[in-house]
Amino acid sequence: MTNYSILLLGTILVPLVAALVMLGGGSLSKATTRSLATVGFSFPALASLILWINFQPTDSSGYDYLIVLPTGLERLGITLHLGLNGISVPLFFLAGIVGLAAGLYALQSEAERPQQYLMLILFMQSGLMGVFASVDIFFFYFFHELALIPTFICIGVWGERDRHSAAMEMTIYLTLGAMLSLLGLLAIYFQSDASAFNMIALKEAITTKPIEGGVQNVIFGLLLFGFGILVSLFPFHSWAPRGYAAAPTSIAMLHAGVLKKFGLYGFVQVALPLVPLGAVHWSNFLAWLALGSVVIIGLITIAQRDLKMMVGFSSVMHMGYCFLGVACVSILGAAGVILTMVAHGLTIALLFLLGHVVYRRTETFEMADMGGLVRQAPALAAIFSTAVLASIGLPGPGLLNFFGEFTVFTALWDFNEAFAFLAVLGVIISAVYGLRAVASIFFGPHSETFAKHLKENAVKDITVAEKIPTFILFAALVVIGLWPRSITDDMNRALEAEFKTIHAMLATLEIQPDEEGIEIARTAITQNR
Amino acid sequence: MNAAFLYQLLFLLPLLTAAVIACFLRTKHNLAANFSVLSGLIFSAIALFLIYVRPEGDWSVTWLTLGGSFELKFGVLFNDLSALMLLVLIIVGFLVQVFSLGYMKDDLGKARFFAGLSIFMFAMLGIVLADNLVMIFIFWELVGFSSYVLINHYFDKPSAVSASKKAFIVNRIGDFGFLLGILFVYWQFGTFDLVELEERARLSPGYLSTGMALLLFCGVIGKSAQMPLHVWLPDAMEGPTPISALIHAATMVAAGIYFSARVYFLMLPGMEVIMWVGTITAVFAAVVAFGQNDIKKILAFSTLSQLGYMVAALGLGAASSLQRHGEHAVISTGAAVAMYHLTTHAFFKALLFLGSGSVIHACHHEQDIYKMGGLYGEMKITSITFGIGVLAIGGFPFLAGFFSKDSILHLAHESDFNLVSYLLFGTTALTGLYMGRLFVVTFFGKPRSAHAERAKENGPAIVLPLVILGILSVIGGYEWFFGHTFEAVIGAIPNAEGPFKMLMIITGLLFSVGGLIVGWLVWNPSKDSDTLENVAPGLFKALVAKLYFDSIYDWYVKKVQDRGALILGFLDQLFITGLMVRGTAEIIGLMGIVSRSLHGGNIGGYVYWFAIGVVVLGAIAFGVL
Repeated sequence: MTNYSILLLGTILVPLVAALVMLGGGSLSKATTRSLATVGFSFPALASLILWINFQPTDSSGYDYLIVLPTGLERLGITLHLGLNGISVPLFFLAGIVGLAAGLYALQSEAERPQQYLMLILFMQSGLMGVFASVDIFFFYFFHELALIPTFICIGVWGERDRHSAAMEMTIYLTLGAMLSLLGLLAIYFQSDASAFNMIALKEAITTKPIEGGVQNVIFGLLLFGFGILVSLFPFHSWAPRGYAAAPTSIAMLHAGVLKKFGLYGFVQVALPLVPLGAVHWSNFLAWLALGSVVIIGLITIAQRDLKMMVGFSSVMHMGYCFLGVACVSILGAAGVILTMVAHGLTIALLFLLGHVVYRRTETFEMADMGGLVRQAPALAAIFSTAVLASIGLPGPGLLNFFGEFTVFTALWDFNEAFAFLAVLGVIISAVYGLRAVASIFFGPHSETFAKHLKENAVKDITVAEKIPTFILFAALVVIGLWPRSITDDMNRALEAEFKTIHAMLATLEIQPDEEGIEIARTAITQNR
Repeated sequence: MNAAFLYQLLFLLPLLTAAVIACFLRTKHNLAANFSVLSGLIFSAIALFLIYVRPEGDWSVTWLTLGGSFELKFGVLFNDLSALMLLVLIIVGFLVQVFSLGYMKDDLGKARFFAGLSIFMFAMLGIVLADNLVMIFIFWELVGFSSYVLINHYFDKPSAVSASKKAFIVNRIGDFGFLLGILFVYWQFGTFDLVELEERARLSPGYLSTGMALLLFCGVIGKSAQMPLHVWLPDAMEGPTPISALIHAATMVAAGIYFSARVYFLMLPGMEVIMWVGTITAVFAAVVAFGQNDIKKILAFSTLSQLGYMVAALGLGAASSLQRHGEHAVISTGAAVAMYHLTTHAFFKALLFLGSGSVIHACHHEQDIYKMGGLYGEMKITSITFGIGVLAIGGFPFLAGFFSKDSILHLAHESDFNLVSYLLFGTTALTGLYMGRLFVVTFFGKPRSAHAERAKENGPAIVLPLVILGILSVIGGYEWFFGHTFEAVIGAIPNAEGPFKMLMIITGLLFSVGGLIVGWLVWNPSKDSDTLENVAPGLFKALVAKLYFDSIYDWYVKKVQDRGALILGFLDQLFITGLMVRGTAEIIGLMGIVSRSLHGGNIGGYVYWFAIGVVVLGAIAFGVL
């Protein structure tokens, strides 16, 4: 345990304490609330930056900053076990940065009862940092719930449009997904001989005594549906666009940008190394659903007329790329998933933010009722179109997005060429909806509705306050994009270790080669694809 | 001086220029323009040093490495081929920047325009110097981006907005195949690096395949606007004319040719298809050019046609003798000839476009040639330089275009494909004719509009680039012009001799001068309307409609793609959201009624529902075992 470990703990505790003060401190003054919130959002971001820069695992487990705190539940194998490895570091940083941007934007919101609103977002932020900092699987799950519940409340209370039914649909779906994933996670624990319910212990236990092939299939199946629902895998996606459309902007940023990544992170960090045979068993099925996400949802995105719905659907589509990476069961595939997650997390947060910045000027999300906004807001036009181009994977602003997608495509070609053909279609589809949106919002003549709106209202360009969170997200996207090794070197090391474990597990299983499909799995995995 | 440092400087200069303009000079238009031209001058000087001095040194940075062999790098591979392309880029690039000082003088988006130009120079530089396929792809997309921004320059015009969108999306369709081609190459050869690829392709040619070649060629079809993805280029003329000259005539659209020359060894198995695509494009575009009245559209179709020639040359010459020069500089005859034509075409087509820009500027943005006329009297320099361009593209003996076209026809003549030979030969006659029509109608006869009457010759910033390009269009085809600097490319070009050479000289003279004379006779400049339109209105209508390719694509987008997307969206609403989700909500509602009677609360219903859901999905999970 080092000072950095305390910092790691602090990323969870600082926003949590800020939230608790707001909860229990009665009606605080506006200034107190704001400064509390600012600290609560800035600290995790700064700390995550420091922890990312200093990350240097010496431990054989591949983890750094390990810290174990007693919980009184040790009999159940549960401790508050925190640490970061090469896979979680980039996502941890993502959570810090998106949290800061979403928090800063929430501070500007005109929401009623701002103290409660900020309190809930701080709870969410604390949970988000916890998800990626947890080594212990119970807490990994617990922190996810800690972040999820404020999401529902915020949508229900501060949401727009049909917020009640959207919040209800989201609650039902996500709770179901969370329960299934919990079932799968528990099943891993009970099927292994692990001494504790954490990733390090589980990996050790499984290397010496792997879970039997058939059982792995069941466990992965549970996780597939559970995580799949949480990450809006086709056809369990319908909560996402509606939920995001109804959600307050900061909540949409945090959920689509970070929280949703819980399921994919679970696949890469937990499911692939612990139940790889199950993953291989399900990979074709998963790939087909993911292709549904990319192609079918992609086409549905083209049909959207509402800016926020479009961004929501595009997020579902991009998750399809991540699932395809998971389905590859390879180092390259898994690395592509993480790269795409980081890139998508930053860009989708940007798009929800900028979408709302546009809304403040047009007072509608209907793209047909905008048009020609560039004349009033040239800087916003430039920033927004850059964000859209980044999200469709244009190298340059979206260099990181491109690297992520390209890595997934490369892995996918090796898995199945036909799948790669279908997946790369997404490159065209996303260009169609992205450029159409930019054109109908900003270019050409003003629409009639917007012209009328302009007569009655003064429309200004993007303000400095709006630029700050935008700039933070862009800076992270561009810096990591230009210098992807800052995350991939550690990630690669962690994934290579992970796949070494998988190979060792397969070697152990050779003793009992009667399981159907193991042979296929072994050749597939050892080919290092 | 170490080359690595110069490469870094070369990449940084345009990027920083664009950044400085975007951040600080957005409203200081003149400062931005001068700053950009100054940066362009330094850029060109460094590039010239690299081309002619060839200092030692490599530059390579690893972006990321994953799982062993998967390595994405940023690196430079500099050889005679890239030197030639770089030369073309800086000559045309710099002249276009100077021209723009005059042409964009009073434009409200001048700073944005020059920032866009700088980004383009940066992106194009990346394609020229890249040492691996992924880096080429990255910069390939980036030039597409700068092209998008610059076509969209007049964003108040709906036609410019939709043209920019079309250009980007059509290019992405090509890139779809290109990307898959790169993946194919990687899994066959295990590397993206061009030098290693060449080595491995030579050692194990069995890994090459037609599919791989054609997938890579998809990128070329998009970027170099070959059939059937040619539709974006004529629309791209919505951009400012200097952009049409630089990006949509001389350099970016030629990037496909350059790329094919760079990796010709991967393209070998697909060369016959490539040859046919080029030939058909050359013929098609030359025919359609007769139905255009917009001066820039005529030039756009002539660009398509000339790009078709280059692509055809690639295909024709690949199978014939491969020549080895230096360590890494192997190039096929076809690639060398294509690059030769690329170079001369860059000179005379940039000249023609800038000339048209000079005319358009003088006529207050009038682009219809039937609203011009009689410009020769007032615009002598523009007219004469334009005339040189017309003769050069028509293949007038001993001008630049003559030599390069000559070598393409020579390749065709030597090959086994007689039909291709005839088609390409016949198209040179068409070229002379439609260019003759353009020249005669624009510059002679009486002014056909008030703007044309008041037209005056432009200032030096506009005229000087025309004169320089005019000179290059005369001398740019001679071997002494290239010297030994580009030996690996220029040395691989076969020379026609004897009777074929004589035939070329005679037909060159015939087609270029004959084109002007016949043009004058048929499209009499004193008439106000098009002769073809009067004689064969049906045919002319079909040509105006560009032989209906755009209409068919529009129909597909509106009736198939968009409607399909709507239907999918509807089905999604109906089945997934409607039946599955709402249906369950109904069930929950029902259960709520039931449970309310039991517990007096709705929450219980959800718990039941979760339990049932868990059981059902668990059963599925077990059932699929």
